[in-house]
Amino acid sequence: MPREIEPSLNEKQFVLQALQEKFRLDGRQFDQYRPLELTFGDQYGVADVAFGKTKILAKASAEVTVPYADRPLDGVFAIATELSPMASPAFEVNRPTETEVLLSRLLEKTVRRSGALDTESLCLVAGQKCWSIRVDVHVLSHDGNLIDTACFAVVAALRHFRKPDTSVEGGILTVYTPAEREPVPLSWLHSPFCVTWSFYGDRGEIAVLDATWTEEQIRVASCTISLNRHGEICQISKLGGTPVEAVALLQCTSIALTKAKDFSVFLDKKLAEDTKKRNIGGFMAELRSENDR
Amino acid sequence: MPLDTSAYSLALLRVDGRRWNELRRMHAQIRTQAAADGSSYLEMGHTKVMCVVTGPSEPGPRRSAVGASGGTGVGGGSGEAAQAEVAVSIVIAGFSSVDRKRTARGDKRILEMQSTISNALAGSLHTHLYPHSAINISLHVLSQDGSLLAALINAATLACVDAGIPMTDYVAACTAGSTSTYAAGDEAADPLLDLNQQEEQELPGLTVATLGESDRVAVLVCESRVQVSRLEGMLAVAVDGCKQVREILDRVVRDKGRRMVQEGTIEKGVGVNDMEID
Repeated sequence: MPREIEPSLNEKQFVLQALQEKFRLDGRQFDQYRPLELTFGDQYGVADVAFGKTKILAKASAEVTVPYADRPLDGVFAIATELSPMASPAFEVNRPTETEVLLSRLLEKTVRRSGALDTESLCLVAGQKCWSIRVDVHVLSHDGNLIDTACFAVVAALRHFRKPDTSVEGGILTVYTPAEREPVPLSWLHSPFCVTWSFYGDRGEIAVLDATWTEEQIRVASCTISLNRHGEICQISKLGGTPVEAVALLQCTSIALTKAKDFSVFLDKKLAEDTKKRNIGGFMAELRSENDR
Repeated sequence: MPLDTSAYSLALLRVDGRRWNELRRMHAQIRTQAAADGSSYLEMGHTKVMCVVTGPSEPGPRRSAVGASGGTGVGGGSGEAAQAEVAVSIVIAGFSSVDRKRTARGDKRILEMQSTISNALAGSLHTHLYPHSAINISLHVLSQDGSLLAALINAATLACVDAGIPMTDYVAACTAGSTSTYAAGDEAADPLLDLNQQEEQELPGLTVATLGESDRVAVLVCESRVQVSRLEGMLAVAVDGCKQVREILDRVVRDKGRRMVQEGTIEKGVGVNDMEID
């Protein structure tokens, strides 16, 4: 199994001492994210998110399937994460590393179990037909903080996604092509965002947001908090590592809430821009009978 | 739902008759398996787990990628094995819960718990004393009734103490919840200590593990939707509960030590004097 090269002792000490003196290598504040970029693809449901040099592409897709026997009224919703060797030589195909398991578990808890997508709305014919929504997460470039980036990408992709419109008449299900009927957005209930803190120092007293890969390799503990803009925690996971004061964790949570609100505003803005871009000419263009010919 | 926890507001008693700040009966034993380096058996109410520790010993040829962590590093690998690797495996018995479900081999929930326990203990164990070695912790769940992760962490701590692996302090864990769901304006919501299965399914809750008597949190896992304002109360109650759990664990270890000295299994050594042996 290939291993990631660890930062050298000098490198470690340099970063740590800088952190002790309240500096980060890229000159950011401790609670500052790298510049966030979000681009939507030409298709619906493709979101490309970049936090600095970390880049993740999420693609949502839908198909009609048979629902699970024990949940006849629910649709199927799955998030698939794959860390390919493209992102880092430590990742192998078909052998999930610990990072990958924890990442997919976190996304599952944040987006799926918190009920962000109303799965009951995916049901078409009870017990026979339902939509299966699948989000594929591809890590294109890995420079730390995969969790926050992946979560943002998944939420953005799902919010942007439109599934084909359907109708059921006399027990016959019709799925319309985009040309016949405008695709419809998913029934989305709330947008959770992950905020990951990394801790440094013997007692974990230094807390840093959005760690780069070098910073991530030398951290002593991390804590991921998922929140939506209504101030609801969807999930918290601090899975071991150096113990951190409980009071510090509470402070981290309140800062995380402001970050989640920022993300929410940013995503809403981008989605609005995208809708505007797609809707050239507005409603009038749609009503016009002329065409380019 | 078989029972409704909303009856709490009437008499301030929970489904099993406890008050908000009461732990369930906790019973623990150490050195239960003679053949193992360290072993323990722990009950938190009806949640029953067993733990066996082997090591520190030479690592085997096969290394699992998940649930093994070297030392304190969370992000990075253990590198040239300057620290002992803590490998955790969890087996959930088929008869442990009401519905006899077969757990898949690569169940992500179990893998996550393994990696959590491994990382939490690696933060307390002095793994740097045992380079190029492995500490294998195998946990067996015999009966499930809520607070599973907390019970597993406590059992693993006890077994590591029994195995004689140097550690900073006990890693003691327990759960806490809140009486109402995520309705924002509900100010009357009480935090609850040590959730059982029913409460865990119906109410928001979190699992906390702290190091020794300090307020320092090693593990904090919350898997349900809950208001941010509710977190502080829940965390405070959970940290307080962890301190109670630590006292119980400590008593178990001291009682066992005292009995072993009395029975003559071990000699009363230097430094044992401060153990208050009568």
